[in-house]
Amino acid sequence: MAEHHSVSDSKHKASAVNIGASLSGNGRSSPAGTVGSSPTGALSTGIAQPAGWQSLLSFTILFLAWLAGFSARLFAVIRFESIIHEFDPWFNYRSTHHLTINGFYDFLNWFDDRAWYPLGRIVGGTVYPGLMVTAGLIHYVLNLLHITVHIRDVCVFLAPVFSGLTSISTFLLTRELWNQGAGLLAACFIAIVPGYISRSVAGSFDNEGIAIFALQFTYYLWVKSVKTGSVFWAIGCCLSYFYMVSAWGGYVFIINLIPLHVFVLLLMQRYSRRVYIAYSTFYIVGLVLSMQIPFVGFQPIRTSEHMAAAGVFALLQAYAFLQYLKDRLTRQEFQTLFFLGVSLAAGAVFLTVIYLTYTGRSTLYAKIHIPIIASVSEHQPTTWVSFFFDLHILVCTFPAGLWFCIKNINDERVFVALYAISAVYFAGVMVRLMLTLTPVVCMLSAIAFSSVFEHYLGDDMKRESPPIEDSSDEDDKRNSGNLYDKAGKVRKHVSEQEKTEEGLGPNIKSIVTMLMLMLLMMFAVHCTWVTSNAYSSPSVVLASYNNDGSRNILDDFREAYYWLRQNTEEQARVMSWWDYGYQIAGMANRTTLVDNNTWNNSHIALVGKAMSSNESAAYEIMRSLDVDYVLIIFGGVIGYSGDDINKFLWMVRIAEGEHPKEIRESDYFTPQGEFRVDKAGSPILLNCLMYKMSYYRFGEMQLDFRTPPGFDRTRNTEIGNKDIKLKHLEEAFTSEHWLVRIYKVKKEENRDPLVHSPRSSSSRQKYTSKKVQDPPRFSNGEL
Amino acid sequence: LECTMDAFLCLTSAYFPKWRRGHQTYKRTLVLLDNLNIRDTHSIFFRSLADRGFDLSFKTADDPSLSLIKYGQFLYDHLIIFSPSVEDFGGNINVETITSFIDGGGNVLVAAGSDIGDPLRELGSECGIEFDEEKTAVIDHHHYDVSDPGEHTLIVADPENLLKAPTIVGNPSDKPILFKGVGMVADPDNPLVLDILTGSSTSYSYFPDRPISQYPHAVGKNTLLIAGLQARNNARVVFSGSLYFFSDAFFNSAVQKATPGSQRYAQTGNMELAEALSQWVFKEAGVLRVGAVTHHPVGESTPPAAYTITDLVEYSVVIEKLSKGSWVPFDGKDIQLEFVRIDPFVRTYLKKNGDKYSVQFKLPDVYGVFQFKVDYNRLGYTHLYSSTQVSVRPLQHTQYDRFIPSAFPYYASVFSMMGGLFVFSIVFLHMKEKEKSD
Repeated sequence: MAEHHSVSDSKHKASAVNIGASLSGNGRSSPAGTVGSSPTGALSTGIAQPAGWQSLLSFTILFLAWLAGFSARLFAVIRFESIIHEFDPWFNYRSTHHLTINGFYDFLNWFDDRAWYPLGRIVGGTVYPGLMVTAGLIHYVLNLLHITVHIRDVCVFLAPVFSGLTSISTFLLTRELWNQGAGLLAACFIAIVPGYISRSVAGSFDNEGIAIFALQFTYYLWVKSVKTGSVFWAIGCCLSYFYMVSAWGGYVFIINLIPLHVFVLLLMQRYSRRVYIAYSTFYIVGLVLSMQIPFVGFQPIRTSEHMAAAGVFALLQAYAFLQYLKDRLTRQEFQTLFFLGVSLAAGAVFLTVIYLTYTGRSTLYAKIHIPIIASVSEHQPTTWVSFFFDLHILVCTFPAGLWFCIKNINDERVFVALYAISAVYFAGVMVRLMLTLTPVVCMLSAIAFSSVFEHYLGDDMKRESPPIEDSSDEDDKRNSGNLYDKAGKVRKHVSEQEKTEEGLGPNIKSIVTMLMLMLLMMFAVHCTWVTSNAYSSPSVVLASYNNDGSRNILDDFREAYYWLRQNTEEQARVMSWWDYGYQIAGMANRTTLVDNNTWNNSHIALVGKAMSSNESAAYEIMRSLDVDYVLIIFGGVIGYSGDDINKFLWMVRIAEGEHPKEIRESDYFTPQGEFRVDKAGSPILLNCLMYKMSYYRFGEMQLDFRTPPGFDRTRNTEIGNKDIKLKHLEEAFTSEHWLVRIYKVKKEENRDPLVHSPRSSSSRQKYTSKKVQDPPRFSNGEL
Repeated sequence: LECTMDAFLCLTSAYFPKWRRGHQTYKRTLVLLDNLNIRDTHSIFFRSLADRGFDLSFKTADDPSLSLIKYGQFLYDHLIIFSPSVEDFGGNINVETITSFIDGGGNVLVAAGSDIGDPLRELGSECGIEFDEEKTAVIDHHHYDVSDPGEHTLIVADPENLLKAPTIVGNPSDKPILFKGVGMVADPDNPLVLDILTGSSTSYSYFPDRPISQYPHAVGKNTLLIAGLQARNNARVVFSGSLYFFSDAFFNSAVQKATPGSQRYAQTGNMELAEALSQWVFKEAGVLRVGAVTHHPVGESTPPAAYTITDLVEYSVVIEKLSKGSWVPFDGKDIQLEFVRIDPFVRTYLKKNGDKYSVQFKLPDVYGVFQFKVDYNRLGYTHLYSSTQVSVRPLQHTQYDRFIPSAFPYYASVFSMMGGLFVFSIVFLHMKEKEKSD
């Protein structure tokens, strides 16, 4: 809260000249702001009071935005309970727990021997520790104040609390870009927009929850430092960047976007001392700080993702040097030097590009070529529907905001334009990057809405503003120092439209305003609806609704994990597909072979191979990996579509990638190229381990009288292999709705009876045949 | 986290307490006979067992009071089945109880004959051994005894064909072995079955009284006369195709191959072989166990929670051998230790060091969850297996070398920069003042 005060205070001090303009803009956009109607000329008398009102208003709106954002994220806690959601958060929770119990240094050096058996995982060196440290710190401070909170609750509520901080930093950033009114709108948007809520509901204890705050705050400080050219703000930006690096791998977005901004500014001839100071400071200090995170290590000076930043840094130095030389040298000398320098630079760039092309491997490359990355649903391209679903009306209005920004361009609006364009591109490539698009969409939409409201909510201000704006317009081009907060674009806009606007009657104004308010209302309704229905499921607990609206809780996952925790040896090793690794480790506290940190493709492929081989081949693999239990998810009884059979083709593909001789994807399809689990399915599929474990004894089960026994509700077919016998595995546990099935891997048989050998059949035959006095036993040529 | 997992030691836990209870209890032996006459016709063999302390209970195989297991406990430690022709065991004994007896750690000695019944054949197939049919016999037209009545089924087995394992078959001798009975075959891929005595290359198994119309069941060296099994829980089973093999008559008879010019021996080798076999099958010979396993970094005495890569580690294990009823240190030259993470990263010999076997070695420069594995599997000995799981972690952040030579340029640059900045500040401030004064 102190932050709000100081920030808004400083803003007023810094831009006293602008107060009239921004104040009036703000006044128009909010019903309570009627005080703003005093003419600019009379500011001297009324300034103290409106400024007070304005701070109070801003403070209240931000506080309410925080509150609304926090409350909207609590659906899951109210409907279910205070529980960690999904998959990755379980790991984050487990490591936070480790951190709070064993302290920071132990966490930093934590070698987790219960994950990735038998490889183990260096947790301290392979996580972004920001999230855990943040939660651990909050927990520590609360306990210091004798507020005894369990670390789980801190983790559950961390993301909703941080969403409030995100609102505030979005407000600050938008205010720097446009004006305070737009800032407040943006803060409200980001507080409830589904695209951000999807990653920050209570219980979703994930990196993104705090990283979006860090992202916005870093951008705010960057814009601030570009505007002021002060080392102080640049250092602040570095610290915020450091927090971002410690929190999320998405920091790469920052370290590319900021250099891009600088580069475009150079191209636009907008180079200035301010940019030079801001970027030089940011790059050097940011680089050193980011290398302090063990997981990042030397990547910033090695990998291709970070090269753009280094290149722009060099370019900026060269440019500054040339500027310096220009002042000192004659034209002729300068030209020679310039020519020489350019050709050298061109050669260097050319070589670098070639080098990077050969060594660089981005996620985009991986996405296409490595099945394990392609298999993650978050890495799929975004559909149009999900743009609308996650952003609703904002996706339609943000191009308008972008247009306003580009029309009234200055240094920091270049930044937001680049931010918008690159974020749109990345969001189109991968669903999960929708998250980076969301804040900029909120900001630009807020600008669009704010401009429209400024137009249609006020009446007498417009005629008076042009003179002020004209004087600042030229400044804006040459020296965009002080006057940023002015609604600069509005001015132009206004002056152009002035003639036509004369004709706008109060009716049109009110209709447009009503329409806009309707849109905003629908947006709020949509956000709540989406949050409640789509993004508030813990996915650890499932809910189903009966016809009368009553709710059934399917708690199979936890049932099974607690079974594991209670009924298996402490050191038991559980094999499952990697999706469930974190949950098994977190909830069942058992050793897992693979988990959601998919760093070792070949180990995952080995598990995939075991799942897709026949039982005896799988047994060999499981024995070599010391597997004690196998856990699978089976949705055929309740019609849960995210089960292992539906994921099975990915296991086959991943296994095929590493073991192309033994596993071939085509073997699992029918000759017509279909993936079927019924009688027409391929025999290899019908006898592979995953199929057998999923459908073991399922053929005996009749779900209702309309369907035959062994009817799979997920795939709506009667299964093809109902008589499944397991030789090396035995069923250990099946949860209430058959969602989780656990099998125990038997020890090697004590004896090898003849049944195993090829002659076994003949020996059995012999016993029966002996009675008939017909010895066919010699016929097999066993010798 | 370090944990010791002796997943499957030489003795199953169910069996272990019995060893402690003293000799009497672990030598309880049930002897099943076709008829009680066999007790007299095979008295030498039984007497030698009784002399060695075995507590023999003789029962006919169809005795209705027979029982191996009561209240989930085994009533006997060993089982001798000298009843080849039994069609149905009495009491609650059947093939299933016998196999569960084996799976529970009990040892079984089975002697069959040409009148072999279904239960024994079934028992054989449960153990991976296939008996030939009833009424067949091992026939060898080149190596039969002079006293053979004409079917050439009284076979003189060459001691050359014995398994080369002194713990099982005793010390080598040149006395031939007399055999008359049914043949067996085993799957050569079965790692648990031991071909203790095979027929000669001219032997085969068929009905002695019928013309050969089909390919014989077993031919040549594939014909097993005596076979053994050491199950994965180290329970031992011996199948002999011939009950006569253990008889007093065969023990004491003279033997001479019918081929002209062959040597005559005053006594067969049956007695020595039978005694050695009974010692092996009833676990008087070739029994090993793993005692205390310790491991720790060199220079310390307790294992850490997790080893660090490239630690120097000392591992030691006590391996004992059962000798005349007491455990004495085992003397083996070829015991190996493996340090395994899926594949062995280190494989080294253990050296005998007092009572213990120990070795010092450097951990690999690889982190993960490893196992110290001793997997000693030698013919005639119990399968010795011990695995101890330990974690090997990478260096902690304080354990890296701080002053490596390649870092010195960086240190130099840092300090020169600091010095330079200091000097620069002074110069800068000084200059400014000057300008002002100007």
